[in-house]
Amino acid sequence: MAGEIFNPNPIVFSPTKVSGRNSDLLAQSLWINDSDESEDEAEGIDAIDQDEIFDLIRSIYDPEHPNTLEELRVVSAPQVSVGNNHVTVEFTPTVPHCGMSTLIGLSIRVRLLRSLPNRFKVDIYVKPGSHQSEHAVNKQLNDKERVAAALENPVLLDTVEQCLVNAGLRGQAPPV
Amino acid sequence: MDIDLPYTLLPLADLPAHEERAWHVAWNPAKPLLASCSADKSVRLYTYADDGAGSLKFSAVTTIPTGHSKTVRAVAWAPSGNTLATASFDSNIGIWEQEPDEGDDGEGGEKGDWECVSTLEGHETECKSVAYSCTGTLLASCSRDKTVWIWEVHPDADFECMSVLMEHTQDVKCVAWHPTEEILASASYDDTIKLYVDDPSDDWFAFTTLTGHTSTVWSVAWAPWGSYLVSGSDDKSVRVWKRMAEHKWVGVLVLAGHERSVYSVAWGKGRGRKGEEEGRYLGWIASTGGDGSVRVWELNKKAHRGALIAHMPSAHGVHDVNTVTWCPREGYEDLLATTGDDGSTRVWKVVPTS
Repeated sequence: MAGEIFNPNPIVFSPTKVSGRNSDLLAQSLWINDSDESEDEAEGIDAIDQDEIFDLIRSIYDPEHPNTLEELRVVSAPQVSVGNNHVTVEFTPTVPHCGMSTLIGLSIRVRLLRSLPNRFKVDIYVKPGSHQSEHAVNKQLNDKERVAAALENPVLLDTVEQCLVNAGLRGQAPPV
Repeated sequence: MDIDLPYTLLPLADLPAHEERAWHVAWNPAKPLLASCSADKSVRLYTYADDGAGSLKFSAVTTIPTGHSKTVRAVAWAPSGNTLATASFDSNIGIWEQEPDEGDDGEGGEKGDWECVSTLEGHETECKSVAYSCTGTLLASCSRDKTVWIWEVHPDADFECMSVLMEHTQDVKCVAWHPTEEILASASYDDTIKLYVDDPSDDWFAFTTLTGHTSTVWSVAWAPWGSYLVSGSDDKSVRVWKRMAEHKWVGVLVLAGHERSVYSVAWGKGRGRKGEEEGRYLGWIASTGGDGSVRVWELNKKAHRGALIAHMPSAHGVHDVNTVTWCPREGYEDLLATTGDDGSTRVWKVVPTS
């Protein structure tokens, strides 16, 4: 990671209530075939709606600070929309020049790639007006080839994994 | 499937899948062989033959482990059908030939192993596409490093880099050679297409830039009779471009319909209307992308109309389809191969709707 910290003093918010959903959808490795039966089984447990998507991403760590994306208000439930096999996540970088935005977006994408059934198409954008290179960041995050190549970079993948290490907590506090 | 379209995409084969997403597939222009490549770093070869009952039977031949350290993103056959090039995210290009088998003087890809006869290094980041010119004497490659490289093919798997073209301002996604002339097209993340020729007294250069797409151009393909080009973009459109003068190309048609990024386009001779329309018939364009559908359009010179003639909504189930390609061999103009995020390669026949 770059030596310079983009936002040395982030505002940390206390987390909103935990939804109480316990199931983490079937963990899958990237792009592995999975059968239609298992997808439907998983869906029977929890509907994949706005709250479920938010639950999946709220405990992703910010790459620079020991806080979750929820605590920093980078992601929130109202900023997720779920359509017919289509999820759109809007996230708000903490500062407009945030150089970590692509990494944050990538972490969200990997988390959802591993947690959602294959039938979902996911689009990820920064909140309009919240970033000075909004178009460039959005374009990278939604370019499937760029994302795939980035994840074959071991250093970058490792950084993403560190952000995702406690993503399964779904808003609960980490064990002490 | 749309019942009121004149043609239907008949599934002919669903070939054994790669272990991860399959990015690209290419038909051998001279032999009954198909090659697909994947994020699992391998290339799979398939063959086909008449099944004696009026149809074709497809089967797996072999899996080449390649030795690329990352995804194999694209494959391309030399016009002779004897050499295969692989483009990888590890930034290298592999050149593959089949070891001659002493006892085998026939056709087919069954006997000798495929070995790497050359590795072309030079790109700084992931290679995205590779293509042989119509005579097989030139090879083009492109990369996220924004460059297009042109290599001269010499005997004994010797390759000489003739030119490094730095005309695009972003990643170059695809390169494709004109079917009869030495003109190269490139498609880029910078939303443009560039066309290049060789100036004999100087060097290769881009003589025109085609603008019009509003996002990344993923794929570009030439019409089989030259003079036209088709492109597919992240902006969900397929665009057709026409040559107006030697170095002047303009956009003439926008084909809409895809609901997500168009990842691949291909233009084949097809088996469309002949007779009175023959002088105006331009062939069939196939397109595919993130919406999982394959669309076939028949192109007609009159007012540059493009009509949708066939549509397969979920060609690989819920998965993105990454490549669509027409069989270039004579007698097989109605065959299409597709490959997708499910890792599988499928073959389709475009038949008149009964």
